[in-house]
Amino acid sequence: MTGPQTKLDREQFAELFPFHFVVDREMRIIDAGDVLLRICPGITIGSPLANAFSLFLLASPTLHIDREYLIKHKSTLFVFKSSSSDLMLRLQLVILGDPERYIFLGSPWVRNPTELKALHLVLKDFALHDSTVDLLQLVQTTSTSLHDAKQLALRLELNRNELKELVDTANAPILTIDLLGKVRDWNQTTERLTGFSKADAVGKQFVEDFVNEESQQGVRKLLDGSLEGVKNARLEVMLNTRDDRKLLVIFSASPRHDALGKVTAAILVGHDITELDEYRTTLENRVADRTSELSLANAELSRVMRSKDDFLSAMSHELRTPLNAILGLSESLCEGVYGGLTDRQSKSINTIAESGHHLLSLINDLLDIAKIGAGKMELEQSTDSVEDVCQSSMRFVAELASKKKLRMSLVIDPNGPVVHADQRRLKQILVNLLSNAVKFTFEGGSVTLETKCHLERNVMEFSVVDSGIGIAPQDLERLFSPFTQLDSKLSRQYAGTGLGLSLVLRLAELQGGTVSVKSEVGVGSRFTVALPWKSSTSDIATNDHAQDQHATEFSAHESGPLILIADDNESNLLTVGDYLRAHDFRVIEARNGLEAVKTVRTRKPSLVLMDVQMPIMDGIDAIENLRGDMSLAAMPILALTSRAMVGDGERCIQAGANDYLSKPVNLKQLVQTIRNHLNVGPPK
Amino acid sequence: MYGMVNKSVEDLITTQFGADKWELVKAKAGVTVESFISNESYPDAMTYGLIGAATEVLGLSVDEILFTFGEFWVLHTARLGYGELLSSAGRNLGEFLDYLPSFHTRVALIFPHLKPPSFECSDRQPDRVTMHYFSHRPGLSVFVRGLLSGVAKMYNTPAEITQTQFKDKGADHDEFLVRWEL
Repeated sequence: MTGPQTKLDREQFAELFPFHFVVDREMRIIDAGDVLLRICPGITIGSPLANAFSLFLLASPTLHIDREYLIKHKSTLFVFKSSSSDLMLRLQLVILGDPERYIFLGSPWVRNPTELKALHLVLKDFALHDSTVDLLQLVQTTSTSLHDAKQLALRLELNRNELKELVDTANAPILTIDLLGKVRDWNQTTERLTGFSKADAVGKQFVEDFVNEESQQGVRKLLDGSLEGVKNARLEVMLNTRDDRKLLVIFSASPRHDALGKVTAAILVGHDITELDEYRTTLENRVADRTSELSLANAELSRVMRSKDDFLSAMSHELRTPLNAILGLSESLCEGVYGGLTDRQSKSINTIAESGHHLLSLINDLLDIAKIGAGKMELEQSTDSVEDVCQSSMRFVAELASKKKLRMSLVIDPNGPVVHADQRRLKQILVNLLSNAVKFTFEGGSVTLETKCHLERNVMEFSVVDSGIGIAPQDLERLFSPFTQLDSKLSRQYAGTGLGLSLVLRLAELQGGTVSVKSEVGVGSRFTVALPWKSSTSDIATNDHAQDQHATEFSAHESGPLILIADDNESNLLTVGDYLRAHDFRVIEARNGLEAVKTVRTRKPSLVLMDVQMPIMDGIDAIENLRGDMSLAAMPILALTSRAMVGDGERCIQAGANDYLSKPVNLKQLVQTIRNHLNVGPPK
Repeated sequence: MYGMVNKSVEDLITTQFGADKWELVKAKAGVTVESFISNESYPDAMTYGLIGAATEVLGLSVDEILFTFGEFWVLHTARLGYGELLSSAGRNLGEFLDYLPSFHTRVALIFPHLKPPSFECSDRQPDRVTMHYFSHRPGLSVFVRGLLSGVAKMYNTPAEITQTQFKDKGADHDEFLVRWEL
């Protein structure tokens, strides 16, 4: 082996070993690299080595460098310290012979860039192959990484503290349970709620030591699920407290993972619902109490409702019966049945009769409103002539209208000749509106009843238009409230019940209709009732069906005996008709003898109640006519006679009536007589 | 990419525009790293995402951001990261640039997984040098121009940096002519 056999000139050698120096046999420095000479002014060529450097040996700081020492340690690493600066050189010794020379090769020992700078060195001063620079770079990057890691640790510490503060100040119990079911962490709120400090809790079994026995099984399942990865499972948990208070918490459990995603614990975040639970219990008790009270109240209400029904029934039976007697006797007195009356007596009797009629209408209205309110008003739908209904209604007010010299007119829309409705209730509506119109119109004014059929909307309108006193806008709102009577000279003159319009509205609504009003003070009013309506074609087409439906809906009434009342007095028709309906009879009406005969032939009633005094054909003629028909021989006819006409009863029997009753009729007795003739008992 | 690069983006935005802007940039870029470690490797896409989000948040063009960022990297971040070592790389701008290829070679030795770029010098004159920049990462030539400008400022040497060859125009690498006052 001869080596690389290179001959380097001094410059090349210095480039490869910029920190080298050469010492002769006398230990004098005879050459040195330029960089070394620059950074170490203590080195001068020809001066003793010992003047420039000392040995860096911690154990023997005073040991001298001499030839013997160098030869002895030539295979070891030399570290020389400069006598004039902080420079320390790591050196390897190469000994050459003839002439004997000691060549030291190496570089400065620097541990960081700061020391480099202190020695006035730059990286370029080092030979490219020198790993010192790499070392410095490595040290620097490691130092930087360390610095970054410290910063990160600091930031994480801050975050951890923030998080801990957040967890501790959160108004929620937050705890961590490890895989063995032991408490690992326990925030301040949990300490406050349970009374157990974190130090008391950590390391203890959560379920056994802190969960009430009744909740333990549920919590075990909750924790097992969470440790298997189930997130946000919720459970109401009863916890133990230091002072044995009740503590109810809703816990939401989720798994906690390590950096590798492995579940290491369960985190429980809770919400104290103790107070809420107490409220809930109180509320439940309160609801139970209220329910109980409500049941009692309902029972009481039912009893009251039954009492009310009974009361209404009694009103119906007992109030109207004596009133009928009052009215009948008043009529008899006026007719001179009990002898002649003086003018004063006559006037008083008329006042009694008027008051009686007023009272009767008041009772009827009240009973109707009560019935509607109780949902007991039953409709009897039928298809009838619009003109007949209107004419009949107008007849009710004809007398008063005539007295006030009012122009009464009826305008019927030819597009709607028939209407399907409860005729009696429709008439009640129209009579009420017409009565008001007549009452509140000054002498010489006009009242019109007109109908209008809106084919496109399937609506039939009945409007009562008057030229009366009118209604102020501010009064319109309360017009349909019960017991409302607007103050006026005319209202004081014609006392009403204050129930009429309220009843009109309810009856219209009951039939699916509406009521509207337009009015101007001093000009007049227009009250319009709009009822659902079907065109005549469809009406005819569906009439049978409608009747079938009606038969189903009102089967109780359809099954009752059909009574024809023939009487020209509307009050009697109303009073007797209502009473009979209330006793489960079906009622049809006729206003003279001829109409009665026609109706009997078409409707075949079970019994006829025939007034003797009637226009066109009186009752006796009508009875005779009916008895002339063999098919009607079995139909009972009861005659109603006036006590003023002695012998009427006998004449009726002779004409073919089965029985007769004198007016005023005792309604109870009437019903009993009818039942006797029909051989039917009272309804069950 | 070197964590120091991302750290530099953070430092630049935080010091020049405010910490709130940095949080916004991070959020827009979808970066959730709490703190970058200088010598760790991060996906290149993260750095590009941060730069893209920064342009949007700060209302600057990509070139403006990259150049500013290059200067900032030398004058602040790298000086912090490499400390005295950076300024020890040369006694003046010329020496520094001469030493830059070796410096990067040593970085590559220490962190081979970071795939650092490499530099070469040619046509060295007392007042100029041509720097050749080789990188497998695209679109960073403006950043390098900022770096070179930052180095000149570090030595308080007025210099002119001109890109004379463009990789994105078909050349195999980018080339810069750096001239300075003597």
